[in-house]
Amino acid sequence: MNMMTVMQRVVWPLLLWPYVLTVSIPLDCKEEEGSFSRCPSITQEKLLDRVIQHAELIYRVSEESCSLFEDMFIPFPLQLQRNQAGYSCITKALPIPSSRSEIQQISDKWLLHSVLILVQSWIEPLVYLQTSLDLYEVAPDTLLNKTKWVSEKLISLEQGVVVLIKKMLDEGLLTTNNSEHGLFQYEAQPEMLESVMRDYTLLSCFKKDAHKMETFLKLLKCRQTDKYNCA
Amino acid sequence: MMKKVVEVIPLLLLLFFTTHATGKRYGPPEKPALTRCRSPEKETFTCWWEPGSDGGLPTTHALYYRKESSETVYECPDYHTAGENSCFFNKNDTSIWVNYNITVVATNALGRAFSDPVDIDVVYIVKPNPPEKLMVTVMEDKGWPFLRVSWEPPHKADTRSGWITLIYELRVKLEEENDWEMHLAGQQKMFNIFSLRSGGKYLVEVRCKPDHGFWSEWSSTSYIKVPDYFHREKSVWILITVFSTFIFLIITWLLHMNSHSLKHCILPPVPGPKIKGFDERLLKNGKSDDVFSALVVPNFPRASPSNYEDLLVEYLEVYVPEEQERILEESKDLHDGCLKSEISRSDSDSGRGSCDSHTLLMDKCGEAKEKERQADRESGRILTETQRHQKGWKEEAFTYAHAMVSPDMSGGRVKTWPSVFSPLPQYSSSPLDKQSSLKMAKQHSLSTSSFLTQPGNSPKEALGTSYWDSCLSNKQPHLLQPQTQVHRELQARSDVNISSVEHKRATEYVEVQRVNKEDMVLLQPVVSGCGRMEGMHKGEDYSKREDYSKVKGLDSDNRLLLQREVLEGDRCPCVDQEMTGDSCTSSTVCTTQKPTACIYTAMPVQEEMALAVNGYVDTATMGALPTC
Repeated sequence: MNMMTVMQRVVWPLLLWPYVLTVSIPLDCKEEEGSFSRCPSITQEKLLDRVIQHAELIYRVSEESCSLFEDMFIPFPLQLQRNQAGYSCITKALPIPSSRSEIQQISDKWLLHSVLILVQSWIEPLVYLQTSLDLYEVAPDTLLNKTKWVSEKLISLEQGVVVLIKKMLDEGLLTTNNSEHGLFQYEAQPEMLESVMRDYTLLSCFKKDAHKMETFLKLLKCRQTDKYNCA
Repeated sequence: MMKKVVEVIPLLLLLFFTTHATGKRYGPPEKPALTRCRSPEKETFTCWWEPGSDGGLPTTHALYYRKESSETVYECPDYHTAGENSCFFNKNDTSIWVNYNITVVATNALGRAFSDPVDIDVVYIVKPNPPEKLMVTVMEDKGWPFLRVSWEPPHKADTRSGWITLIYELRVKLEEENDWEMHLAGQQKMFNIFSLRSGGKYLVEVRCKPDHGFWSEWSSTSYIKVPDYFHREKSVWILITVFSTFIFLIITWLLHMNSHSLKHCILPPVPGPKIKGFDERLLKNGKSDDVFSALVVPNFPRASPSNYEDLLVEYLEVYVPEEQERILEESKDLHDGCLKSEISRSDSDSGRGSCDSHTLLMDKCGEAKEKERQADRESGRILTETQRHQKGWKEEAFTYAHAMVSPDMSGGRVKTWPSVFSPLPQYSSSPLDKQSSLKMAKQHSLSTSSFLTQPGNSPKEALGTSYWDSCLSNKQPHLLQPQTQVHRELQARSDVNISSVEHKRATEYVEVQRVNKEDMVLLQPVVSGCGRMEGMHKGEDYSKREDYSKVKGLDSDNRLLLQREVLEGDRCPCVDQEMTGDSCTSSTVCTTQKPTACIYTAMPVQEEMALAVNGYVDTATMGALPTC
């Protein structure tokens, strides 16, 4: 078995490498709508657009799920006390620009990296959230589906950002920072109210961060086209 | 035995296969080709390939792919989910961020073949599943039905989150037709179809397409039958049509019943001609002669002289004194002069003939135009004759009506005097009446000429009229004086006994023998030719103009100067002059009242006189003038 896999992974590339070299990679790749694209790689603009669209979707769905959760589980008086209840967002400590002035000063590279950090830091908590919501008995399916969807898409987004970074910054793939995973710590089984509140906090925090991601990416796009007019 | 059989069988089989095998050529497989790759929801995708010939040996195919910017070659994770010669990429293996470079390899015992590599961008190969749950219902909009079509997106396509955005298209057709009607519905999942055929059966299908990608297959067909409907508007129109047809029929029937009275109301009958003896049919035939001949009524006019006199009441004799005559002369109006002759025509009752030398008048006019000399004579004759006729024509059927008679009429018809003569007294002095007088004179001339002309003498009528025209058109003075002179002279002969003159004689021409001292013209009747013989010339003979004398003029002694006329042939100039009283009357310009000069007496002459209008002096009563 191992031999086979070694063979597959070694022999076939050796056999196929002439084909790789013969294929010319044009710099300017024209988009073609067809089953087979003529370009070997997706262009940077296209990629950025897709990433932005991805981020938009994630934000929208997270917003929907948050409002769903709110309507269902959170009594009205407590809705306003989101951040005051002591449940701060987990990503507060991340080196992410938070004010507008900071964002204007940051470079493209750091924008992208910030986005990546954000994305990577939310993958684990969302998984947790999913499991937590599954525990609810009265949680509607739509809510569950949405959160599930979000977590899946977030992983996809991470991949996209990585590719984007590689394309834009010509950097190698940064290995995921495992230290990020340590941000989120599982707590012992809290009480119902607390879990609800925590979940609610998670959702709302994630919603905010998703919006941040989208904003960064859009700013990045803006900078690509018109450097001096972006806010 | 069995062993042998067993041994033989593999040999046979071997032989069989070898014979088969020797027919083929073994070889490495042909290059396979990737036909298509499709993703139904942008989360997974599948690729299909077409193998080439396998070279006679069992061949295996394998799909290898490489992600963009990565050298790692992966093999297809799933060969079975999508069927034969396919490779299915699940969610984890599908990334929208990178391109895939895919190759299919065919392998057999003798070799392998690589297909052409293909780059795949998952976003661009999306071909969704057809829409689901297609529903068609018939709904109504103010009496007009329409179809409401609704559907659901394919369940795999995640349109709710916006992952894929689909646009839809539907098509409709009637069951019996072949052409589909396409409608693009955009992103909505509902559509209305209007303009339906009543009672038709429709087929509806729908498909979808992502922003970048392929159209899906058509969904399953949905059938719908439109109920029969009869539109309210149509029914109202039909009612109106039926009602109006009904009314129309009633009106037609009413019209038919009352057609006669309606005809009278709308198109009143044209009154037919009420002339006794007037036949419309003859008029339509176009023969005017017949028409007017039919109008001739025998015994008309009435022969009683009293009526005759009544009719001629208008004809007043105007005697202009000498002074007036001179004044008139100075007016230099030939028309006056011409007409004066008419005016001076004596009334039959007066017993006096107008003494004007009508012929002289003619002569004067004729002098203006040489050509119409003859016309002068003729008209003079005509006038003379008419004056004679005036005296009391009993047998001649003529009336002097007040109507214009067309010169085209043949003789023998009733002639109508124009009402020219009524304003005669006024005429003499006022030139204003000239026009009317001219007209009157013209009319008179026409009438007289036409009247006095025998049938067959129509050209002479024309001459008469032409004379008058010329006479009237000319403006020559000094007609009166000679006329008066002549008149006087002629009047002197008034005492000539004309009684011997027969009534029914034709025109007779006398020859002037001499003029004696007393200013008397001695006349002799002249027969045709030149000889002096008594006789009567028929009216027809006047065509021989040589029998006539032309009046040249009057000299200072009131003498009638006659002219010898030399015409072709041996004609002796014959001078005729009217010596009788009534012949004198032929001159219409007679205005003097001196009886001595007047030798004319109005004497009715009963003969038919066909006078030639050539200006000749004509002796109306023949042979009665021995010596004056």
